[in-house]
Amino acid sequence: MFKAKRLVLAHFWVAFIAFFAAILLGEWQMFLRSPLSEWINNPEHYYRSVTAHGTVMAYVLPTLVAMGFGYALAELTLKRPLHGMRWAWAGFWLVIAGTVLAALTMGLGKASVLYTFYPPMIASPMYYIGVVLVVAGSWIWVALMSINLHRWKKDNPGATVPLAMYGNVAGAYLWAWTSIGAASELLLLVLPASLGLTDTINAGLARVLFSWTLHAIVYFWLVPAYIAFYTLVPRAIGGRLYSDMMGRVAFALFLVFSMPIGIHHLFADPQVGAGFKFVHAAMTAMVSVPTLLTVFTIVASVEIAGRLRGGQGLFGWIGALPWQEPMMLAVTFSFIMLGFGGAGGLVNMSYQLNETIHNTQWVTGHFHLIFAGAIVIMYFMVAYELWPQLTGCAPLRAGLQRLQLWLWFAGMMVLTMPWHLVGLLGAPRRMAYYDYSHPDLHPQAWTVTMSTAGGLLLVLSAALFIYILASARRQDTAAVPAFTFSRSAHHEARPPAALNGLGLWVGMMIALTVVNYGYPIAQLALTPQASVPVIPIGGR
Amino acid sequence: MDRVGKLSCIALVGLTAVSFVVGFALLPSAQADFSAQGFWSAICRAAGLPSRWAEGDGPATARVATRVVLDPRMARMDAPAAIGRGATLALNCTMCHGALGMSRSDAPNLAGQYPEVVMKQLLDYRDGKRSSAIMEELARRLGDRDIADLSAYYASLPKARTAPTTYDETLPALVRVGAPMRNIAPCIACHGGVDQKLGAPWLEGMPKAYLIQQLQAFRSGARANDAHQLMRNMARPMTDREISEVADFYARKAPSALSGHNGPH
Repeated sequence: MFKAKRLVLAHFWVAFIAFFAAILLGEWQMFLRSPLSEWINNPEHYYRSVTAHGTVMAYVLPTLVAMGFGYALAELTLKRPLHGMRWAWAGFWLVIAGTVLAALTMGLGKASVLYTFYPPMIASPMYYIGVVLVVAGSWIWVALMSINLHRWKKDNPGATVPLAMYGNVAGAYLWAWTSIGAASELLLLVLPASLGLTDTINAGLARVLFSWTLHAIVYFWLVPAYIAFYTLVPRAIGGRLYSDMMGRVAFALFLVFSMPIGIHHLFADPQVGAGFKFVHAAMTAMVSVPTLLTVFTIVASVEIAGRLRGGQGLFGWIGALPWQEPMMLAVTFSFIMLGFGGAGGLVNMSYQLNETIHNTQWVTGHFHLIFAGAIVIMYFMVAYELWPQLTGCAPLRAGLQRLQLWLWFAGMMVLTMPWHLVGLLGAPRRMAYYDYSHPDLHPQAWTVTMSTAGGLLLVLSAALFIYILASARRQDTAAVPAFTFSRSAHHEARPPAALNGLGLWVGMMIALTVVNYGYPIAQLALTPQASVPVIPIGGR
Repeated sequence: MDRVGKLSCIALVGLTAVSFVVGFALLPSAQADFSAQGFWSAICRAAGLPSRWAEGDGPATARVATRVVLDPRMARMDAPAAIGRGATLALNCTMCHGALGMSRSDAPNLAGQYPEVVMKQLLDYRDGKRSSAIMEELARRLGDRDIADLSAYYASLPKARTAPTTYDETLPALVRVGAPMRNIAPCIACHGGVDQKLGAPWLEGMPKAYLIQQLQAFRSGARANDAHQLMRNMARPMTDREISEVADFYARKAPSALSGHNGPH
């Protein structure tokens, strides 16, 4: 790498320290709700903690990881220094300022509205301004990724954009467009109410605008993990990427289909018409296409590695895989969690099936498996892979990494499987306590204890992760080998022009958003008497 | 645009068209209540257009709990002049509500009560939404300005002194954590302690008899001026014993208040 080492390190350290603090809050929440603890006397403390956990895990951690990884990729793939270093630092400090502002407001109990905001509940304006600053900082990153790619393309006319950079910039464009929903909700509806300029809020419209962001944000979190699948996994386990083109197709399809589908979060909302709910459900089903393409391609790439190592027969290659490689474990765990989480997600996105689990603990189980499981485990690998480049350390200890990954996988499964079960039985989410003395609930009490134990494993794993990074020994920088990405099995093949650029897909993303969101937003904005009085939280 | 691009665009347009046809035409036509008023009406309903589809049974004929819309502006403190005017008007109230808003009978204390609370209850009495032979008659003679002034005056008085609480396990369960399986929210989620919601009164130090009477009235539906049945839904599942426990907690007096000092300090 050239100039961006300190920049990337700064992003990663802040992200991971915030992550560790938030995971402690998560385990505390789990413990409080379990039969191991008395009921919490002040449920507001619980919701304060949930707000902080969600805000850090949903906004701060993935944004900083995507930004840091993006800057690293810009230098490593384009093989030239990052352009716009000062702007990048400005973006970083904006994110930090926003995080600190939001954290202080949450800590004071002035913002216990959960990270999904839920108007007409209204928190202190400082909280929303903090979130807006985090997003604004990330917009600088979006611009820099775009500018760096364009300058490179100009200097290398006709060259194929490296797959990792292609995915990186696709993720940046996805984020730019999807964050507009929540940003306009905050700036047009929530902040005016929070600042006292209005006493009512169009809660239905606010929810629709948030749904614009709420689903695609998951794919923004997911893109760094997918980049790791395609461009790091095959190289790390000694295989070949089965198809570079398939990676491009997956990123392009995510751009098009992850955006205009958020109304599947509003299946129970009466202000949205059933027709739009169906259209969004149908398009949500389309997102499984790039996911399944990726699973196929990566499994094929792994098979290549197994066969290169002498694996024979239908399943013999599996035993021949380098299971001592942390990356091999990570991608396996990630796919298992993606499989369970994805299957649960198919239930969530089906208009009718969703009725059985809507707003239950099932949903919490689903998104923890997908994000905290399948995605975050790849964030760990990204950090492990980049650490020698960033700090000049020797390769990190594989044994500790394997232990950390095992703990994370086991912890996440033990945490989330009971959630799915009680969700099916009807346990609502976002509850500060449950009455286990009630005969209907008593038989489910053990599941909450089990989830608490799973959470403890996750805390141990996160602590080990921080320890591995912090204890990396420094060594002579010259000794660190140059960073490489996966080689494609057919690396001479050139992608078609449409898959070497993002213009077409961004255009389709915007067009589809207008078609799928235009009418519901316009109709709700123009409906008279659609506003309700705000409910200030922590105001008195 | 190359071949891949063109094919992708055609595929996307096709997919979108098919999902719209299914979502807006095919599925609604399979639902009797969607398609009852014709094809176009079914499409409008699928799009989420607000429509009247249950003529005569709409909210217009439903019982209205209260005409007061709680507005955060009602909670703002008025100018000192309003407090002065309110103090004069309040001379009318001292017989039951005490000289400084501290009742010596079983009428509620008004000292330190949130302004929007006094305002809403007086407006409800005036509209006949809350019934009391005395209060309805008195409120009918008050103008909007008078009601705002009285609210400002009572909000400016010091609150009743009650025994301090730590919000720990010694509190009655309903006050502290509610009863989740019976859908009873904790009292302190709205009435101070965890949060103080707009329109929820300050209860600490209220006469026990008044608290019991009001909870029983909410439970039986005799009192019904709570929007969205907020309090009726809480009170309906409560037992007599629970009502008594909760009232005991809120009516508890500070030790000094018990030994003869009734007024605020």
